[in-house]
Formats: sequence, structure tokens, C-alpha cells
Amino acid sequence: MLKLNPVTRKRLDRFKQLRRGYWSAIALACLFVLSLGAEMIASQRALLVIYEGEWHFPTYGAIIPGTQFGLDYQYETDYKTLKLTLESSGSGRVIMPPIPYGPLETDLAVGDFPPHAPSFAKQHYLGTDTSGRDVLSRIIYGFRIAMLFSLLLLVFNYLIGVSIGCLMGYWGGAFDLVFQRLIEIWSNIPFLYVIMIVASIIQPGFWTLVMIMVFFGWTSITWYMRTATYKEAAREYVMAARAIGASNTRIVFKHILPNSVSTLITFVPFSVAGGITSLTALDYLGFGLPPPTPSWGELLKQGTENLDSLWMVLSVVGAMTLILMLVTYIGEAIREAFDPRKFSYYE
Amino acid sequence: MNKLLFIVLAAFLSASLWAAPETLPANLDWKTNLDDPVFASPEAKRGGRFRSFITTFPLTLRLVGPDSNGSFAGYLRANALALVDIHPDTLNPIPMLASHWAFDPDGKTVYYKLDPDVRWSDGSAVTADDYLFTIKFMRSEHIVAPWYNNYYSNVIVDVRKYDDYTIAVTGAVPKPRDELLFEYGLRPTPEHFHQLDSQWVRNFNWEIEPNTGPYQIAELRKGKYVEFDRKANWWGNNKRYLKHRFNPDHVRVKVIRDINLAYQYFAKGDLDSFGLVAPVFWHKKAQGEIYDRGWAAKIKFYNDVPQPSQGMFLNESDPLLADKRVRYAIAHASNIQKIIDTVLRGDYERLNSQYEGYGDYTNPAVLARSFDLEKANELLDEAGWTERDRRGIRQKDGKALSLRITYMSSSHNDRLVILQREALKAGIDFQLQLLDASTAFKQILEKKHQIAWMGWSGGGLSPVFWEFYHSVNAHKPQTNNITNTDNAGIDSKIEAYRAAQDKPTRVALAHELQEMIHAQGSYIPTFKVPYTREAYWRWLQLPEHFATRTSSSVIDSMGSTGGLFWIDQERKKAILEMKSDNESMDPLLIIDESWRR
Amino acid sequence: MTAYFIRRFLLIVPTFIGITLLVFAVTRVVPGGPIERMMTASLVSGDQAGKVQRDTQSGSTLSADQIAQLEAYYGFDKPVLESYALWLGKVITLDLGESSRYQDPVWQIIKERFPVSIFYGLTTLILTYLICIPLGVAKALGHNSLFDNASSALVFLGYALPSYVVGIALVGLFAAHWDIFPLGGFVSDHYDDLNTWGKLKDIFYHGALPLIAYMAGSFALTTFMMKNALMDNQAADYMRTAAAKGLMRKTAVWRHAFRNSLIPIATSFGSNIAFFMGGSFLIETIFNIDGIGLLGYEAILERDYPVVMGILVITSLLFLIGNIISDFLVAMVDPRIRFGEAR
Repeated sequence: MLKLNPVTRKRLDRFKQLRRGYWSAIALACLFVLSLGAEMIASQRALLVIYEGEWHFPTYGAIIPGTQFGLDYQYETDYKTLKLTLESSGSGRVIMPPIPYGPLETDLAVGDFPPHAPSFAKQHYLGTDTSGRDVLSRIIYGFRIAMLFSLLLLVFNYLIGVSIGCLMGYWGGAFDLVFQRLIEIWSNIPFLYVIMIVASIIQPGFWTLVMIMVFFGWTSITWYMRTATYKEAAREYVMAARAIGASNTRIVFKHILPNSVSTLITFVPFSVAGGITSLTALDYLGFGLPPPTPSWGELLKQGTENLDSLWMVLSVVGAMTLILMLVTYIGEAIREAFDPRKFSYYE
Repeated sequence: MNKLLFIVLAAFLSASLWAAPETLPANLDWKTNLDDPVFASPEAKRGGRFRSFITTFPLTLRLVGPDSNGSFAGYLRANALALVDIHPDTLNPIPMLASHWAFDPDGKTVYYKLDPDVRWSDGSAVTADDYLFTIKFMRSEHIVAPWYNNYYSNVIVDVRKYDDYTIAVTGAVPKPRDELLFEYGLRPTPEHFHQLDSQWVRNFNWEIEPNTGPYQIAELRKGKYVEFDRKANWWGNNKRYLKHRFNPDHVRVKVIRDINLAYQYFAKGDLDSFGLVAPVFWHKKAQGEIYDRGWAAKIKFYNDVPQPSQGMFLNESDPLLADKRVRYAIAHASNIQKIIDTVLRGDYERLNSQYEGYGDYTNPAVLARSFDLEKANELLDEAGWTERDRRGIRQKDGKALSLRITYMSSSHNDRLVILQREALKAGIDFQLQLLDASTAFKQILEKKHQIAWMGWSGGGLSPVFWEFYHSVNAHKPQTNNITNTDNAGIDSKIEAYRAAQDKPTRVALAHELQEMIHAQGSYIPTFKVPYTREAYWRWLQLPEHFATRTSSSVIDSMGSTGGLFWIDQERKKAILEMKSDNESMDPLLIIDESWRR
Repeated sequence: MTAYFIRRFLLIVPTFIGITLLVFAVTRVVPGGPIERMMTASLVSGDQAGKVQRDTQSGSTLSADQIAQLEAYYGFDKPVLESYALWLGKVITLDLGESSRYQDPVWQIIKERFPVSIFYGLTTLILTYLICIPLGVAKALGHNSLFDNASSALVFLGYALPSYVVGIALVGLFAAHWDIFPLGGFVSDHYDDLNTWGKLKDIFYHGALPLIAYMAGSFALTTFMMKNALMDNQAADYMRTAAAKGLMRKTAVWRHAFRNSLIPIATSFGSNIAFFMGGSFLIETIFNIDGIGLLGYEAILERDYPVVMGILVITSLLFLIGNIISDFLVAMVDPRIRFGEAR
């Protein structure tokens, strides 16, 4: 049995009572956990192949060349075709994931011009993009990447931002001034230049992009934290605490931080949303993750360039709106749960 | 005595410097050409305003110097006519600013008789001095155009004046006659207009230079549009090959920054024509009422011009690509045909070599290597890439067969994604590196790429090899030999080709060179587009044959193949009325294959 | 306090030098400068249309001497610090140099685009505050009501949709399909011939769609900041006192909570003084507007360093002053806050 701090338990209970936020949290968590196992939901690899009495689980691990299943090629088995041949000959079984397309797989035949409209028969539930890749599959993988990206960004930004911002606000003086200048200099570097420089030296990948974004992202949260700390530090209870001889550490961690968090918490949904939207925007501009990484921004770009194939743009916009709404409802609920005060004395 | 001799000698020398050689060689065989077919329509009517667009406002109105090579430069160059032009159908020389021309036996000098009718747009006559000034101008450091400095020093070496309307141009090396006229061509520069000093680039950035063409800029609204007016009493109005051409009285070039938005302008009738080469436009966007009801027409016109060398340039200096078998294998693992058949909707065609569209010079026997996994596998096995890792990628000595493709346009993503997926089947891993054009080009010119996905523009009458494949240009930055090809056999052939003068020898050498380059395997040709496709409102009228063999576009208001259409004002009124009343006429789709090869 | 703000103003100088020096140095590192751009332009083919350029200059290569000359032309021949000093010296005399693409003075290029940015910046600013503050208050007062939930959904839909997507949808529907608004541009081509009323009408006729696109995304942050702050303050002790005193809710909220809730909004208000340097290049591209966003983006992509630096000079100064104004506003609305005093 997990032992919880009574305050935290109280907050958790309160959070559970806020149904909209609570359900949003559950929904988002489910989506995120599901996306972590995306290979079992959307993949060109079969979940299970029974061939000549042997069971194969191709989902994870090395590729299984076609020769393994008596086919005449050495590259990765085309499980969809294998399924058809095995089932017609009755010599085996193939179980495909619910979406039998991987995010990188181009489902194209000669004389077949992508993008394709959504089709249940072909199991392209949201259609395909301009390269014939399954939109739903790419949205799922793109969601996983965007969420991981955004969460990492959040953690790094807040770790750096809160600690520096808090110190700036609390110590003030020279420390504050020096860091203010630093932030001011920082936030004026043209972001695109740095991306271009990095991109010309190394192929920008996921971690490089996270680092670049943190490099620029920590400043805004630092700024807010600084103001919030100033505000809190000026309050009577901090003065009182100092008067009774509380240590600086105690004042910061027991008084200032918990109280600034309510301001900060309101920014969390915006930060998560911001992470997702900025990755999307970068991908949209072509400065994000390298192709063929599944990405919402790239899909959005294709969608806006092919407005006649509405399914692309609708899918991304729908997915983005859904995720951002969920995140926001959670943020709102957390804020209320953390705030032990009643929200109004007038009811 | 000595003194006297010196004076006499000095007098003789100075006389010989200033006057003596400027007499024309005797018995020059003056040529002109007024017998080739006229390609404009005598039914053409003048008048109206043609509305077209560009995606960025021009950065300058200069013809040379920094930023003078943008998309707007075409309009300016189209009005700076040449001494002699190429007949767009027969490819014979036709008179333009020069009425006659003659060849010197040295094989590198051409004499021109200037047409005395030619006038600058300010009314002054174009004389030999304007050509002499071109040389002075193009060699000047003040124009900040080192390529022109080089060209007018190393390629065109001399221009001489005999009288106000006779000049001679000498090039560096002898060439076949038909090429001499164009390779060593020259345009006049108005000396009375320019003031060459260190501030020239800035001072003349927005100055409207007098020109010799049919149109001159009349109005300039920065960031919005440029309007050209037709010169009413243009000197060319009655010349054989210029008559009935350049018909609209005004040409307005509007800035519309987004191509999709520009199409909306066209569909609304705010632009007169729109290019539909991209498959997505032709097949998907250019659909609907305006075509179905016959107000606008679509035309697909096959032309016959040198193709840009779109393809993959493999850097032979890379350890992986140094092996010819690997290069061949990559070619066999690149499924270009699938890209054409799917995302390109079967519209583009496979390019077979870097030198297509050069007529006789193109070697029809050179065919691109086709997609063939068996051959690719065989070659790679032979080259020692036998192991495969868990992703199925081939390995040798613990190194993966992973190659970076550098490219510059996100619109090529869908093509490269297919290429990547297909190559994986042969165990080749392509990493896609999308860089913006400047960054990518820097990388490529510094020869730091592995595979460059790009194209050089075609052009000229015969192919050029030296820049791209001679070892002099290999292994050093800022040259066009981006495959780092360093092959003594190719070198000596290229030298022979450059030295040869008569066409049959050059053609034979060019054919051999194309085979050798194919055998080298460091260039994988991809696509060609042997046609132009456009949509236009049907108040535009076209001549009988629509366009010419060398027209890069059908509805082209200016240029040596342009100005053939005209605007029918009454029809425009009628169509606009039909549009507002929602009436229809028969839809029109023209597919012209007269020049299809 | 006064001393603190004076010190802040003096500190603008080193910060400004820090910013510009850093970016100046960065421009030296960015691959593909104006010289490479020039080479690119002279060599590479136009891709899609298969348009063939018949220019005579392609194919030749430059000697080291010629490249050195080009470097001198673009000012790359001197060490970073030396050329920075030269540049700074000119900036002090209010000379931002000349664009390496347009050849025109940088200040003139930027100035030409002010009307566009001022119109969109100011209108968006005013409308955002005019809508967000009342909306935030209404949402806070009616927390969890149907109105609150519905407006949240709407505001977040606007926030979730990137402004360029909104822009493209608006152009597609209202301009191309229904033909209600013009396809783009800041004003009509015949703008100069209109009278004042006509001009104003013309601007708003062209501006309606871009304004919606600009504003769709900007509601969320301010609205929620306002709502959350007001809810925080409604729960503050002084509100209990007010309730105990028997003050009407309306009066209490208006007199006490509302004022305090403006603090977080105030902290961000200072940055708004840069409104006339604003503009999203994506929206400007979609609506075919020649604004500063597009200028800045193109300058970066096309390596027009004088313009990049020129825009940086103006925006960074505005940013620095904006920060001070923000602090000042915070101090104004909340007298308890004391800046610059070490504890």
C-alpha cells in the first residue's frame, strides 16, 4: 500500500472529484500508454505468424526476411501478402495489428496515385498521405514523439526555469541583474539560425531538437518564476517566517515554491501544448525532425497544400485539438486541486 | 637620324594602334535568314492587359550584379535582345539586332552588320559603341559579378568596331559555326545611361535601363506589382520574326507569394494564365467549373529543349561510393519508375542521361539503369557487403551501408520516401537530409555530401562536360564536378571534345563521353518533363501551332519564343458575361505532341 | 526604486551589445552566406517547371581572388570583432547599413513595412485585451458553468489550430469559394486613388481575414491568465473580509480582486510595445502581405545579414525597454513588490 502524504492525498481526492479533468487525465494517460505500444496497434509487421507449425512474433526485434517464410526475397517479409497466400493455401496463419500499416510504409501500387481517401476496405481508416503512408498510423507515432518531446521539454525547462527564476526573485540584487541580462541576450538569438547551424553540422535528431528547444525555452518560465517569487517574497507570511528565523532554504521550499506553483501550474498545460505546437510548427517549416519521421507538422504541411484531400488536414487538426483540450482540462483540474482555498467566498 | 626614325616609327605604330586594323576583311560572305517560317499569327490583335505573377518581388532591376538572377530577371532579359537569335522551330539563326553576319576563317570570329533601325527605349540609336561598352562594362569590377567578368574576359576575348554599324566578336576557342553565333553572343549596353563607379550596384539598383525589346517598365509598386508597357512605335514592329508578336499593350506582373493562393487568383479570373506542370495542379487543383463550363482551357504542349540534369550525384571521394559496384548497385536499387508511377502520377518521364534534349549530341543508346533488386544484390554481394543487421541493412567490416542524400526542397519528401523504402529492400539505408538551398549548396560545392539530389540547368546548343567531369575540377571546392570524377580516359576525351571544331567529330566524341560517364556510374538520372502544361482563360487566343518547338511555356508574354498569344477583348467581355450568367460552352483541352520525341 | 529603474535603463547598453555581438558572431558561423547564395543563384536549376535558363554565366568557377573580392563586398574580409565595431559605430549614428539583397537602406526597408505591422499589431492588441479581459472575468465568475465550458472549448480550438491553418481555411472559404473578401494584399492596387473613408474601408476589407487568423490563437493565453488570476484572488483572504463586511460581490470583485488579477497580465504587457515590429510570416505569405514578419524570415533564409541585424537592433531595444516597463507596471499595480533590493 502506497503511503501518501495527507496533503497530497487530499489533493488527489479533490482532483478525482473534478470529473472533467479527472477523465481527461485518464484519457490522455491511456492514449499515451497505448502510443508507447504503438507497434502492436499500427505496424506493417504481423503480431503473430504461424508458419509450418512454428510461431513467430515479428513485432519487435530484427526483421524477418521473406526467405524465412518460403518467399523469394531477402528483405523484410510483406506480411499482408503473406497473410493472403497462407490463408488461401491454408498452410498457416497471420494475425495483423488492427492498423496493418507502419508509419513509414508506403502503400502504393503502379497507377495508384496518393493521397488516398479514408477506406475501411483497405484499412486506411484516415486515408493516406501524399506518399501513400497511412495517416492514422503516422498520427499515432507522431503523437508518441510529440508527447515525449513535449514532456522532456517540460521537465528540462521547468527544472532550469524554476530554480534560476526562484533564485533570481529571492536573492535579487546582482544575481538577478546578471541573469536578467543573460536571458535578454538569450531570447534575442534568431532561433532559426541556430537550427540551421546545427542542421548543417549534424543531422538533427530527436535529442538535438529537444536540447535546442530547451536552450531557448527555459527563459520564459524563468521570467514568470522570477516575478512570482518577487510577489510571494513580498508577502507578510514570508516576512513573518524570516522574522522568526526560518532559513532561506526553508522559506524557498516551504513557502515560496508551493505558493508560486499555483501560478506556475496554470502554465503547465500551455507548456505541454506549446511543446507539441512548436514541434509541429518546426516540422511544418521543414526545420524539425528529419523525414521520414512521422510528424504532425509534416502531415499538416501536406494537408494545407492539398486542401482538396481534406482528410489529412482534418485528421491532424482533430488530433491536435483533442490532445490540447485534454491537456488543458487536466491543467485546470490540477490547479483547482492544488489550491486548498475555496475559489470564491460568494456562492 | 635615329630620332627621326623613332618619330616615324612611333607615328606608324600609333596609327596602326588606332586606325589601321579596323578595315573589314575582304570577301566576307554576309548571311541573313528571312526564309524560315513565321511562327506568329497574322490574326493577332494588339491591346489589353496581360496579368501574370511572380512569388517574390524583384530585388533589383539590374541585369547583372548581386541578386540579378531571380525569377523576375527573365522579364528583363527578354527585353534585352541578342544580335542573332535562334529560330524556335528550325533552330536556324535569324536576324535580331544584327541584320547580317559573316564568319572569319579563324573559326572563332563573327562579323555583324547591325540593323540601323534598332533603337533604345529612349529613342537613341543602338550603335557599335554600345557593344564595345558591353565588354568594358562586363569586365568591370564595379558590377560585382565575377562570373560575367570571367566570361567576358576568358570566353569572349575581343569586340572590334569597324564603323557605327559593323562589329566583330572574337571568342577564345574555335567552335562550329552554328554554335559560334550563340556561344559568343553579345547584347548591347547603353553607354549613355550607365555611370560605372564603385557605387554602381547601389545607384542603379532601381534604375530602369533603356532596352531594345518590345516592353519597358512603366510602373513599379514595391512589394506589389511591376507593370510593363508595350512600346507603341517599337523598331521591331515590322520585322519578319517580330511582327504580330508581343500583343498586349500592358503586362502586369503581380507579386503573389504563395503558389496555391496564386491559383485562386487565376481561378477567380484575376490572372490570365497559370502553369500546371506539377501533377497535383494538373490533376487535382485545376478542376471544376471554370474548365467544365469552357471559360478556361488547359493545354499540354510537348517541347524539345535540353533537359535539366535532375538526378543523384554520387560523391566518388566517399569511401563507400568509391567502389563502382556500389554506385551501380545504388542505381539498380533506386526505384525511380515507382516514384513516377505513383506520386508523380505517371506524368514525368525517366531521364536517361545528363545530356538529353541536345538533338544530335544526345546519345540515344545511353539508358539509365533500371530498378533491379537482383542485380543490386549481386553487385553488393560481390563488393563484399554480405552481412545484414537487424534492420536488414547490409554491413561490411562492421560498417553499415548507410548513405546520406542531401536535398533542398521539402516538396520532394514524398519522392525520397519511396526511394528510401525501396532501397531498403536491397539492404541500402538512405538517410534523408533536407537542408535549405544555400546550406545544401555550400555542402555540395565543398564536396562534403555523399549523394546530392539536385539538377543543373540545361542550356546551350551542345553539352558541356569539362565543368562536370574533368579531373581538374575534382577534389576541390567551388567547382561543378560534384561527383569528384577523376578518370584519365574521360579527361582526354573531354579535351578532344573541347578542341574539336567540326560537328560530326564533336557529336561522336559527345556520344562516347556519355557512354563513359554512364560507365562511371556516379550520376543517376531521375526525371524529365518534356512538356509544358498550362491553364488559361479563353479570351487569350493562340496561333495555329500554339507554341514553338523550344517554347518553355505556351502563354509567355515576352522572350525569344514568347509573345505569340493575344487578348480578344470582345471575347473577354462575352466570357465574363457567360460567367456571371453561369452559361457554358464546350470545354477545351489541348494536347499537342508535334514536337514530342 | 527610482534608482533601480535608472540602473535598469543603464544596463540596456551592455545587454544590447551582448545581444548584437552574439548574433553578429552567429551570422559568421551560419553556413551558406550571401556569397554561397550568389553562387547558388548562378548555378542551380529551377526545379519543378523544368524551365531552362539560357544564361551564359553558368558553369564557370571563381578564383580565390574573386571570392576574396566578393567577401570584401559583403564585409566578410575583416575579423568578427573589427567588423562588429564598424557596424556598431554606424548604428550609433543611426545608420543600419544597406540590405545585401535590396541594396536599399535597411531602415527604409523596415520603415516601409510599419503601416502593415502597426495596423495588425495595434488592432490585434486592442481587440485581444478588449475581448480577453471581460471574457476571463466572466469565465472566472461563472466557473464551471455551461458558458465557461463552451467558451473554453472554443478558445482552445482557436489555440489548437495553428494560425496559418485558420488563415488557409479562411482564404479558401471566404475569399476563393464565396468571394466575400479579397484573396490577399494589405490594400487594393488602386488604394492611392481612394479618399480617406475609402482607404479605411479598403484596409479593413483586406484586413478582416488576416485579423481573425491572428487573433484566433491569441485569445487563449490572456483569457486563461485573467480567469485564473481572478479565481486566485477571489479566494484571497481580503475577499473573505469583504464578504464578511457585507460588500456586494460585484463591488468586491471589481474593487479588490480585479485589480490584483491584472498583475500577471501586466507582467506580459510590456512586451507589447514591440507591436509595430510584429507579424507572422506564415500569415503574411498566405494573405500576400508585405510585412515585417516576412521580411525577417526571408532575411534569415536568404542570409541578408544587414536586415537581420537591423531588425534585431529595433526588436531587442524594444524588448529591453518592454521588460522594464513590465516590471514598472508590476510595481505600479502591486505596491508590495520591491525590485532590486537584496534580502
